[in-house]
Amino acid sequence: MSVPGAPTAKEKKYDRQLRLWGAGGQEALETAHILLINATAAGSETLKNLVLPGIGRFTIVDHAVVTDEDLGTNFFLDDSSIGLPRAQKTCELLCELNPEVQGNFISDTIENILKSDPEKIKDFTTVIATGDIPTSTLLALDAILYPLDIPLFVVKCVGFTVSCRLALAEHAIVETHPASTVDLRLFNPFPELSALVEEKASSMDDKEKMTTHEHGHLPYVLILLQALNDWKSTHDNAPPSNYSQKNEFKKLLRSKMWNVDEENFEEAIAAVLPHFNPPSIPTDTKAVFQDDKCQNLTKDSAKFWIIARAIKEFTEKNDGLLPLPGALPDMKAESKDYIRLQNIYKTKARADLAAVVGIVQELLKGLGLDGGEIAESEVETFCKHAAYVKLIRGRSLNEEYEGSPRARVISSDLSDATSLIHYYLGLRAYEAFISEEKNTQHIAPGAEDSTVEADTEKLNKHVTELLDKLSITHSPELLEGTEKAIGEIVRAGGGELHNIASLTGGVVAQEVIKVITKQYIPMNNTVVFDGISSRTQVYQF
Amino acid sequence: MATTTVLTTESPDRWKYLNNILTRRGPYSDETFEPGDEPKAFLADLKILVIGAGGLGCEILKNLALSGFKDIHVIDMDTIDISNLNRQFLFRESDVGKSKAEVAAAFVMKRVRGVKITPFNCAIQDKDDEYYKQFKIVVCGLDSVEARRWINATLVNLVGDEILIPLIDGGTEGFKGQARVILPTISCCYECTLDMLTPRAAVPLCTLATIPRQPAHCIEWASVIQWPKEKGDLKIDMDDPEHVTWLYTKALGRAKEFNIPGVTYAMTQGVIKNIIPAIASTNAIVAASCCNEALKIATTASPYLDNYMMYTGDESVYTYTFQHEKKEDCPVCGNLPQALAVDPESTLEQLMEKLQERPETTLKKPSLRTSSKSLYLQAPKQLEEQTRPNLERQLKELMEEGDELSISDPGMPFNLRFIISFSS
Repeated sequence: MSVPGAPTAKEKKYDRQLRLWGAGGQEALETAHILLINATAAGSETLKNLVLPGIGRFTIVDHAVVTDEDLGTNFFLDDSSIGLPRAQKTCELLCELNPEVQGNFISDTIENILKSDPEKIKDFTTVIATGDIPTSTLLALDAILYPLDIPLFVVKCVGFTVSCRLALAEHAIVETHPASTVDLRLFNPFPELSALVEEKASSMDDKEKMTTHEHGHLPYVLILLQALNDWKSTHDNAPPSNYSQKNEFKKLLRSKMWNVDEENFEEAIAAVLPHFNPPSIPTDTKAVFQDDKCQNLTKDSAKFWIIARAIKEFTEKNDGLLPLPGALPDMKAESKDYIRLQNIYKTKARADLAAVVGIVQELLKGLGLDGGEIAESEVETFCKHAAYVKLIRGRSLNEEYEGSPRARVISSDLSDATSLIHYYLGLRAYEAFISEEKNTQHIAPGAEDSTVEADTEKLNKHVTELLDKLSITHSPELLEGTEKAIGEIVRAGGGELHNIASLTGGVVAQEVIKVITKQYIPMNNTVVFDGISSRTQVYQF
Repeated sequence: MATTTVLTTESPDRWKYLNNILTRRGPYSDETFEPGDEPKAFLADLKILVIGAGGLGCEILKNLALSGFKDIHVIDMDTIDISNLNRQFLFRESDVGKSKAEVAAAFVMKRVRGVKITPFNCAIQDKDDEYYKQFKIVVCGLDSVEARRWINATLVNLVGDEILIPLIDGGTEGFKGQARVILPTISCCYECTLDMLTPRAAVPLCTLATIPRQPAHCIEWASVIQWPKEKGDLKIDMDDPEHVTWLYTKALGRAKEFNIPGVTYAMTQGVIKNIIPAIASTNAIVAASCCNEALKIATTASPYLDNYMMYTGDESVYTYTFQHEKKEDCPVCGNLPQALAVDPESTLEQLMEKLQERPETTLKKPSLRTSSKSLYLQAPKQLEEQTRPNLERQLKELMEEGDELSISDPGMPFNLRFIISFSS
């Protein structure tokens, strides 16, 4: 049986996620190609959470051969895998999860690939590095990927401790998924809206001209606008501006009720605080407008910047008002009155959109580009979200490691013994330990019971060296928390706990999905998780 | 000890990393933690129950098997649907229609050698106290409030001589989720926090019947008003495509009549099934957090969560970890009745409607009694008929201030108790 609008097989399978990121997000996932470096438990779990929702392709680079230890932490290996290449076996078992996903593997070290064919790294949509990778390799990857705006996730998962660093130069998000995009324009009604108020609500105080039923079904937007007209006539033509005036206005609304149970007036009263705000352009949108990339368009500018510039110009011509999103919340009203009001907002939104599309066309022409470069639907999405767009400017791993100005992020948290900054320092020390020149096998701290004590000492020393390099003052008291974090990290002996690896895979996959779909807001730029206290903290290094 | 038999079939290297945590003390380990072979043996011996083999359940089974638990039971009454495959990774397209509990258990046992998983394809209510008593920990990955309330109350009621079964509960919605640890009668229970649920805004019937404005109003009109009118006693099966198509077509017609844009098939499904968006990654986070707590509780290797962690991933990464307080007047784990102010002029029926709307009660078919008389009983039939006239009567005729009102409901394995006060 075929019903128009009924879901396809694919829509059925992906129904629960399409409700989150829609067909556009899904399309972005399906054209992505993810590189996973090292099929650790955390890395394999991350891929699992990307294969299931239908990522296009993935490639695993891993030189290891499957051991018994792997089987204790990685679900995507079994008894028959022992002794075989880990890249191959995890690839096979991950591919079973979704026949639509294409998996590849390279049984080699990332260092060899960087040496023989560094260009290869540039083919990926996103790179996820897990496991014990020395600092020099991480910085080499960062040096290739960061200038190309290819997101690099560096994931560390040792015992109960996790960190995930995202190195991405620029990330602009239109579809941030705010709770609501409603803008009722109460302080700046457009002519069509004012005309409807005049027609429908001007006699809302007159029992001769309006029936009780009509009064009880006036949409609250019209009630508010009419009452605002009344208010302004006795307040120098100004709307209520502060909290006490807003409360006074609510009293005015209450005095206009004909019955105690007029729901529409209750709705109007409830809408005063959330919707009585003078129009202003939100900080994040302003930052986009003022960005160099918005000011100086070139023919290589991303669509985001061209549309942003068009909306900026639109705003300048429209008393500082952003294009109307056009959404209207539900409210007590007769069906036809509500639909009419809804259409007035929608028509205005369409007119604003048409104006922005016109500016986009001119900009494209001025840049010597074809007018068809940018689809109207893209401009529409931007117009609807103009007040909620977000631009994230990241920082490269190289900048962080060279002694970032963000070092004060560390110093300000150091005195708090419960801060997760101590785990960040512990993991940096861990990385320094496995990167030591004489540690050619990248043996982890605490790998053997007999080395626990000496390795703990070494990690503590690495922390003080790091803090010295960043010119951060420290003392044994300040480092009490760090010492404990190091104790916990060495205890794990470089091993993953499956639960923590699985949680890490969930966290990282969420961030990857947000970055690839360009929907929702990813963290910027490091999240630390502690599985003992079950807390996370995001730092901007 | 009977535990070593399982362990000997495995290479000693397999659990090397887990053993590091179990044989070494950490800076935050409890004083009572004795590193060594004992926590390992204890894990292998401990019986743990998983409720739900869906999005969270699949993850939970995998996680427990790879955390050293060897004796796991799983209960789920559902069968596998095509829309599960985007996250329930133990299932394949060829499994559609089979029991979730059985397929999940078989898969994990095949993949992780040495673990025993016993599946039950039934409702949790089908099992009695004796069954639940055998477990040391219960981990819950459910999407139903009703089932959670039931297992929570059951475990609270079991508390007694040497029995205290921790309940670890997870839940997700989109990019958000939560994990929590409930020590029945000691820390706050599921019922204590029921008022945290946001009630689903109910649309007044008159809006559906006469003045629809939203696509959802048209869909609800089709299912609440039009279906019973045209189909009589036939129950709507949300999973029957013919039923959904019928509702969709009706809703579309209604929308056309009122010029309401936006009714789609997907929205029809979403509204009538109350579909909550769900993805693999969020399930992974929440399930892993639950199992991490199970491992810590079982071994005391590190302190466990006290008692609530919320994860929010749609805007950066944010967690809120806090101690939710126990409610002294919690109807399940507290011992005080709650205060309830009622309008003495209103009828018993109005009171019942009000109670049904409250998120902290969410009743289905409540029966009401005071200490002296039955006000309204849903069953048996003759008592229902006998007490039905009370529905029309005003509360002031039926009760006095200070009376204790007791409410039972088939959805709850306990009674709600209220002390009545009058207010207008």
